[in-house]
Amino acid sequence: MNPEASYPSGLPQTLRAPAMTVGTVTPGSLDDQVLRFPAQAPPRKWYLALAFTSLVACIGMGFIGYTFYTGIGAWGNNSPVFWAFDIINFVFWVGIGHAGTLISAILFVFRKRWRNAIARFAEAMTIFAVMCAGLFPLIHVGRPWLAFWLAPYPNQRGLWTNFRSPLLWDVFAVSTYFSVSLMFWYLGLLPDLASLRDRTAPGIRKTLYTILSLGWRGAASHWQHYEKAYLLLAGLATGLVLSVHSVVSFDFATSIVPGWHMTIFPPYFVVGAIFAGFAMVVMVLIVVRESMDLQNLITDFHLEVMNKVILGMSCLMGYAYVVEAFTAWYSMNPILHHTFLNYISGTYGWAGWLTMGCNVAIPQLLWFRHCRRSYFWMILVALGVTVGMWFERFVIIVVSLHQDYLPSAWHNYRPTLVDYGILLGSFGIFFSLVLLFARVLPVIATTELKAILPGAQPGHGAHHE
Amino acid sequence: MDETFRTPPEAPLEPVAHPYRSLEEREQPAAAPGEFAPGADEPPSGFSRRRFLELVGVTTALATATACSKGTRGTIVPYTKRPPEVVPGVANYYASTFQEGNRSYSVLVKTREGRPIHITGNDEHPVLKGKTSPRAVADVLRLYDPDRLREARLDGLEVPWDQAEARLVKAVAAAKANRRQVLLITGALESPTRKALVAELGAALPGLKHLAWEPAGADPDAARTSFGGAVAMVPRLHKAKVVLSIGADFLNGDDPAAIREFAEMRRPQGPDGPMNRLWVLEGAMTLTGAKADHRFPLPPSRAAAAAFALAKALAENHGLSLPEGVDLGPIAFAPQSFGIPAKAWNALLADLKSAGRQALVLCGDGMPAETHQAVDLLNAMLKAETLDLRPTEALASSRELDAAVQAMTAGQVAVVLLWGVNPAYAYPRAGAWAAAMAAVPARAWIGLMEDESAAQCQILLPDHHWLEAWGDHDGGDGLLTLQQPAVGALYDTRQGEDVLLAVLRGLGSQAAGDYHGYLKARWQKEVYPTPSLVPFERFFQVALHDGVVPCPVRSSKPPSLNGPAVTAAARSVAGRGAAGTDGSFELVLFPGAGVHDGRYGNNAWIQECPDPVTKITWGNPVSVSVTDANRMGLKDGDVVALAVAGANLTVPVLVQPGQAPGVLVLALGYGRTVGTVARGIGVNAYPFLDPDPGWAGLRRGVRLTRIRGHVELPITQGHHRMEGRDLVHSFSLAQYAREAAKPRHAMDPASLYPDQTFPEHKWGMAIDLSGCVGCSACVLACQSENNVPVVGPEQVVHGREMHWLRIDRYYEGEPENPKVVQQPMLCQQCDDAPCENVCPVSATNHSPDGLNQMVYNRCVGTRYCGNNCPYKVRRFNFLEYTAPKKEPESLVYNPEVTVRPRGVMEKCSFCVQRIEDGRVRAKVEHRLIRDGEITPACAAACPAEAIVFGDLKDPHSRAAKLANSNRGHKVLEELGTRPAITYLANLRNPALEDEA
Repeated sequence: MNPEASYPSGLPQTLRAPAMTVGTVTPGSLDDQVLRFPAQAPPRKWYLALAFTSLVACIGMGFIGYTFYTGIGAWGNNSPVFWAFDIINFVFWVGIGHAGTLISAILFVFRKRWRNAIARFAEAMTIFAVMCAGLFPLIHVGRPWLAFWLAPYPNQRGLWTNFRSPLLWDVFAVSTYFSVSLMFWYLGLLPDLASLRDRTAPGIRKTLYTILSLGWRGAASHWQHYEKAYLLLAGLATGLVLSVHSVVSFDFATSIVPGWHMTIFPPYFVVGAIFAGFAMVVMVLIVVRESMDLQNLITDFHLEVMNKVILGMSCLMGYAYVVEAFTAWYSMNPILHHTFLNYISGTYGWAGWLTMGCNVAIPQLLWFRHCRRSYFWMILVALGVTVGMWFERFVIIVVSLHQDYLPSAWHNYRPTLVDYGILLGSFGIFFSLVLLFARVLPVIATTELKAILPGAQPGHGAHHE
Repeated sequence: MDETFRTPPEAPLEPVAHPYRSLEEREQPAAAPGEFAPGADEPPSGFSRRRFLELVGVTTALATATACSKGTRGTIVPYTKRPPEVVPGVANYYASTFQEGNRSYSVLVKTREGRPIHITGNDEHPVLKGKTSPRAVADVLRLYDPDRLREARLDGLEVPWDQAEARLVKAVAAAKANRRQVLLITGALESPTRKALVAELGAALPGLKHLAWEPAGADPDAARTSFGGAVAMVPRLHKAKVVLSIGADFLNGDDPAAIREFAEMRRPQGPDGPMNRLWVLEGAMTLTGAKADHRFPLPPSRAAAAAFALAKALAENHGLSLPEGVDLGPIAFAPQSFGIPAKAWNALLADLKSAGRQALVLCGDGMPAETHQAVDLLNAMLKAETLDLRPTEALASSRELDAAVQAMTAGQVAVVLLWGVNPAYAYPRAGAWAAAMAAVPARAWIGLMEDESAAQCQILLPDHHWLEAWGDHDGGDGLLTLQQPAVGALYDTRQGEDVLLAVLRGLGSQAAGDYHGYLKARWQKEVYPTPSLVPFERFFQVALHDGVVPCPVRSSKPPSLNGPAVTAAARSVAGRGAAGTDGSFELVLFPGAGVHDGRYGNNAWIQECPDPVTKITWGNPVSVSVTDANRMGLKDGDVVALAVAGANLTVPVLVQPGQAPGVLVLALGYGRTVGTVARGIGVNAYPFLDPDPGWAGLRRGVRLTRIRGHVELPITQGHHRMEGRDLVHSFSLAQYAREAAKPRHAMDPASLYPDQTFPEHKWGMAIDLSGCVGCSACVLACQSENNVPVVGPEQVVHGREMHWLRIDRYYEGEPENPKVVQQPMLCQQCDDAPCENVCPVSATNHSPDGLNQMVYNRCVGTRYCGNNCPYKVRRFNFLEYTAPKKEPESLVYNPEVTVRPRGVMEKCSFCVQRIEDGRVRAKVEHRLIRDGEITPACAAACPAEAIVFGDLKDPHSRAAKLANSNRGHKVLEELGTRPAITYLANLRNPALEDEA
């Protein structure tokens, strides 16, 4: 069935195959374009960027060290706001990671081939985001040198951890997420590492690539194993996209705190995670695309479709806010009413409005095609979403906690310099890792992209699947 | 016998240096040359294998032990000859007495291994019945205050005691020889033996002028005017059906017996009563006002007029006759001029008339003198039997102190000896005092820690803490109480009485060697009943053991009211008319709830214990009424300037619901300049005391202006409304009748978890909010018992105070005159505790006897339990709050309770150490635990007996019966937590139904 036959004058825009690559791209030119980066010295702006992000990261580490030395009292946490920036940042970073897994796993399972160009980078961002996220449960405990007690290891005291606790589910969820993502990502890297190995002159780097590529020869048996393993891990990771952030949301949903104890939290958090993650991916990919001249591989189509996802998620978030508010009103629970009024009024009412503005109002700009294709608007929306999603977690955590059941216990929260420093430091760590990744490893999965180049597959072409 | 009370010399507090480093060093005495080398009896081939291994093992162990102890810690030396009464791990209790001003409290001092760690009331005392004041509980910390002066000083240099004392003795002897005045300023003497000693000193030293000065006490002239002499009014609240308080805060904790008796009358068995009724007219909001059935804000300047108007109405309309010589003709005020609706006024009069002899009218200490006369008149008219008028010690009035200052300035005084007073801080005209002191050649000071006055003196003689000292006290009601040392002197200090004895000896008198001997001698002469079958030594030992001795009471005729004086007072009040409105305020000055007159400023427990009404810690903001705050646009924390002739202050503001408009309230006792803890906390309000008349606690004509600035007040409770939530039940008797008639349905929300089973005991509590007055003795007792840390003002601002038990105080109704309820909030030990299932490391779980256990050493500090506790009773150690302890502060810790490091959650444990202690005792004695045998620190300290602890599984236990009361209620029951604490509703007994 050839749709082209029905349209003699050419397919309309909506039916035209998406321009997944622009211009002539052959496997050879692809290799040259993408795989030259690990081989050549990076431009000066890369060093400058890395120096800056490393500085920020080191400052953050310094604040973390200060916290280890002094105690959680260096932060703004108090009673009743026992969790603040620490858990906000944790949830924020875990959320950011979900976009990568959705792109690389779920879209793979649904056979959306346009994900091939961006999957590697997105998955790398997932891993780095999960690393940043994993930092926070370790440092937010009062006695971080005993944080390993959260792991159920056999010990001479005969103690198990408390499996009823959502924090322990977090331990399993996040560690599973990290390990599966890492394996999945590494598996996908194998053919590219082999290409690098084959293109590199003998030396330390070649030895390194040889070891890392685990003897990949591109044999048919290798490809068979590769495809099976890839599909398996993609299947596992698909489940994780939905489950990990649901488990993280259980930290709140299974508790007793008004404003937290809502069944909408798991899907609400997952949607929010995808939302925030895609925004971060869009921002980073724009930078990558421009600085590494990859416009022909990471095309306007990719950015536009990601923006459509952001728009869709934004609408879902708006729906979720409305449903939450309705549920709270319908509950006839005056304490819950009070909490929800706090979201839009009171000391932190500004945060609630900021959240809704950044998450629901501003992304509506993406209805306009011009905005979906313009860097300025895209970055504006994506920045807004990042800020809005961070503040959404702020609203959920701090605003719900600061005024709960007993009015005598109510107390405001104010972050300290150390809180800000660690938050910025986490961004520094993340972007440092991203920069290092872009320098050392191929940012695009050349193997996967080669599979969808025109003429790569037998039959009509790569873009009909 | 007395040596047994001292720390045995072979176990000194100062650690012994020189641990031994090897087995050889320990076994071989240094003198013996060691004829045979160690191991010489071993086979010549060297050590046998067994011996070798022994030595290796022992030396390794010793090496690690000595490696750990850095030489400065010293050796832990077990008793080789243990004093018979000291069993390590078992506490000993000694009866003693805590004196504060002209009050004394018979207490029990709990000691462990020779050091006092906790203070409770003496249960042998028939009036106090085991209760004591909050400050008595907190004062154990002052024993270990690092700021205590540890040796005598002379001109700023440390000297041996005798040298400093000799200088004083010489100066006094010289003053006697030159016929110059010797000025002795002490606090209230209160102790009969001490009074005898001072009298003896006065006899030996004709130039002695003694002033017993209590800076924050009532004006002594008031009682002198009414009754012609120093008279104390002791309320007998268990006899009172109707109580009218005119600015008298008798429920603030200073008088535990009053709280107990009052609370007994607030706990009717059923809706039919009987229950007393409390009317309060006051300018400030106090705990007494909070408990009132009817409360009306009344500026203290109008209080005398209101009281006289009441007296006149009672005389003219209710048939009560005026006492002889009293004429109230000029008085004519309408009740509306006091802000009291006519209906309420008439109800008050009807109440007083119908109660008659069982009515009681009380006047606040700081009220102007005419108010005292008016209240004395009312009591006389009512022929109140609820009041004991007792002759008491004649305290120095402000006029006498002024005269002394003048004498000093004029150079008439050769020696001034300050003992337990701090006039450089508390005398309202500090400049005049400093000049006066400079004019005195010999200035001596006896006190506990260097203060503002010590800085002006050359001879500093550090005093014993009362826990190290001997004494006796007049416990009132025909009781004498004894004070005995519970610990040997920590430093080179001596009792102040010993100094006076040394002075006596220096004047040539044959005085006893030390005060202990003097006390025993006087007791043998005056207290020991003769003839007696019991030898005196035995009598004295039993008296020390019990702490309380009934003494023969000389029945004296109650003093009669001085009619003409009262008439004069009434005339001056009538002539004054209503206060003019010139925009100035009247400032009420009262001793701070914790720091009192300032002497406890260095006690961190007291500084951090929230003021029971304002919930302010670490400072004294000025309280402004709601009306004035709205008018002037003032919010909590705004900085204002207070000014009056001769004094001004910059101080933050606190908006106080219930305070009368036009009235400002400021606590005395802050603004110290000396003392590690006290320095710089709050502002010194003493300069605002009114010189005319007599430094009374009311100053008129104070101007308040807003200045730029805002501070974060260290307040522990920022929200004062229940926001419509069902937290505290408060009923009038009529409402209670309606509630009691309704069928009780136990709320039992569905739960995923199976019901908890408690095989033997289930510990629970019943807290009677009708009895609780909010005095916060429980808070301090809990802090003392459980080693709860102090966090300091900045951390309180951040919201990180660590008190396991807090008293929530809620206002209901209109802010200008709200109803107030108090609710002690502590861990509810929920059966289905939300905190237990969220801890990832199982650091908190449930015990088989109903307690929610906190395992400190397992806690990693994720703080999820804190989030999930709906009562927010869990406390987290955000910082290392226990680290900066200066020796010997760590001696105050209770060794039965872990001291928590940073990063660990803690919360109330129902004093599990006491529960375990009780359980073990019962087990050892092969019996069941008796109801009432185990009392947590808070329950033991509550003077109102509002907190009752017991086994809820035992249907006969008090706690179980109270938990089933028809006015019982559990907080946040609808969440399904199944708390173990039942709160009994607060009851009110209004005369008018619409006031409820």
